[in-house]
Amino acid sequence: MDYVAFLKDAISGSLDQVMIMGAIIIPLMLILEIAKDFGVMDKFSMTLRPLMKLFKVSDKGSIPIMAGLVFGIGYGAGVIIDSAKSGDLNYRDLYLINIFLLVCHSIFEDTALFVVLGADFTFLVVSRLILAIIVTLIFSRWKKLMVQNVNLQNNGKVDNQHA
Amino acid sequence: MVTAETFKRGVNKGLSTTWELTKVVVPVYIFVTFLSYTPILEWLAKACQPFMYYLGLPGEASLALVMGMSINLYAAIGVMTTLALTSKEVTILAMMLLLCHSLPMETAVAKRTGVSGSFVVIMRLILSLISGLILNILM
Repeated sequence: MDYVAFLKDAISGSLDQVMIMGAIIIPLMLILEIAKDFGVMDKFSMTLRPLMKLFKVSDKGSIPIMAGLVFGIGYGAGVIIDSAKSGDLNYRDLYLINIFLLVCHSIFEDTALFVVLGADFTFLVVSRLILAIIVTLIFSRWKKLMVQNVNLQNNGKVDNQHA
Repeated sequence: MVTAETFKRGVNKGLSTTWELTKVVVPVYIFVTFLSYTPILEWLAKACQPFMYYLGLPGEASLALVMGMSINLYAAIGVMTTLALTSKEVTILAMMLLLCHSLPMETAVAKRTGVSGSFVVIMRLILSLISGLILNILM
């Protein structure tokens, strides 16, 4: 094994990764804070309201889902971590948002990679969205998750459960 | 009201969230890079080769799946460009990989927000396999 090449790759690659994350997350958080203080956050939350209602998740879940759908899971997770800290979302909300985003995220960038190779954009995006909705819907009606949620809320520990 | 305070808060939140994710992403990135320097992934791909038939894929496609799932989509695309694939095969691979990719990285990040890692990995693998099997039959 070529250790020098490995170290080079590992160091420069992870640095790149961190820089890209910062370049997206810092402006994203800034925009979200400005939106909050402008009082338009509720409007943002309304965008995916029907979907949130279907999952019985707080309307505020729209924001991490939008971030994840557009930018990818890391950025969605960034917004989720922030929402969990501020107590906007409870454990059940976080779980369901995560499931949704893990099945379907970064719909433009990831899909575009395969379109270059000849796959159909609309087919991939639509079927992934439908799958994500079905899977999340199944888990949202799963009793065990609900019970766990009630217990957690009773203990007053809503966030950072497995972290 | 948007004040200087808003900007300070936004930047602070951005920095702390970036740091929070950095702690997860860097170790995983190093691990995954290490993995790509070992022959482990190629062995794994060889072991999976016979099953590609059921997914309507040529045997060599198993390397694309293994690379995509363990490293990232770019690694998978790199392998796919070296294969002569029909459009059906590209669609099946694309669907399977889109549902299940960069497992170490994405699972580590998702775990920070509270979900169980093994649950997430198993769910994505099953979804990916089922969609591959179904697409192979339907297309």
